[in-house]
Amino acid sequence: MSLDYSALLYDPVYAAIGVSATMDGTAITVIDDTRPKVLPAGTADVRGTGPGAFARIPELEANEITRDDWQDALLVFNGRSWLVRSYEMRGSPNGEDLGEVRFLLKAVDG
Amino acid sequence: MADIREDILARLVALVTTVPNMRTVRRNDTDYFSALMPAAFVLDGDEDVVAGNDGSRPSNRPMLVEMAPEIHIIEQSDAIGSDLTTFRRELMKLVFADATLNSLTGSNGAIQYLGCDSSFGWLEKQYGGVQVRFRFKYPLIPNDL
Repeated sequence: MSLDYSALLYDPVYAAIGVSATMDGTAITVIDDTRPKVLPAGTADVRGTGPGAFARIPELEANEITRDDWQDALLVFNGRSWLVRSYEMRGSPNGEDLGEVRFLLKAVDG
Repeated sequence: MADIREDILARLVALVTTVPNMRTVRRNDTDYFSALMPAAFVLDGDEDVVAGNDGSRPSNRPMLVEMAPEIHIIEQSDAIGSDLTTFRRELMKLVFADATLNSLTGSNGAIQYLGCDSSFGWLEKQYGGVQVRFRFKYPLIPNDL
């Protein structure tokens, strides 16, 4: 018998640390994954922010947000607005369609 | 006392400060963060004696040397490519036309543009950096140091 990772893992985690968000106006729940980021400039380092967010594939599909909608979607959460510039599938032991996606974001004016 | 190397580096920093729209200019600082951009930093770089100037005596003879300071420009914007190109262009115009730099390198010295290197990535916006490379040839006169 396989474990249901959505019920046992993702749903409780999102209930605890997820935040309300909208993707192109549709309400979803995301986990803020904005991280510090360091990029090289020759021998120097440039420190900045790499904005990102996790979302559950089943929740996106339940809201009729498909992969074709992700690119350039407007994602609003925690008082900030971002555009999805790219994404990476995170998979799950129950398969990619029951896992997460990590949205890589950019500032709305950039 | 005349330390032309230091004079060139100091003048270079002063010139970079006048590049239009540059927010931050530092020398030999290798730690930057987003809020400083657009930023430029000047690293002192290497110096070598010009071949053919290093084998004779007396040891305090005048010699020609070449110094290669590194000038890095970093920015994040939605038009990073053209922004960096503009910064590079303005920097080159300033360096080549500067009377002080041309005077410091002397009649048998030179200011040469060697090229540039670029790199890109993502922060909150698209990030890019360009390293503009110059070579300054100048007379090093030990008795003047």
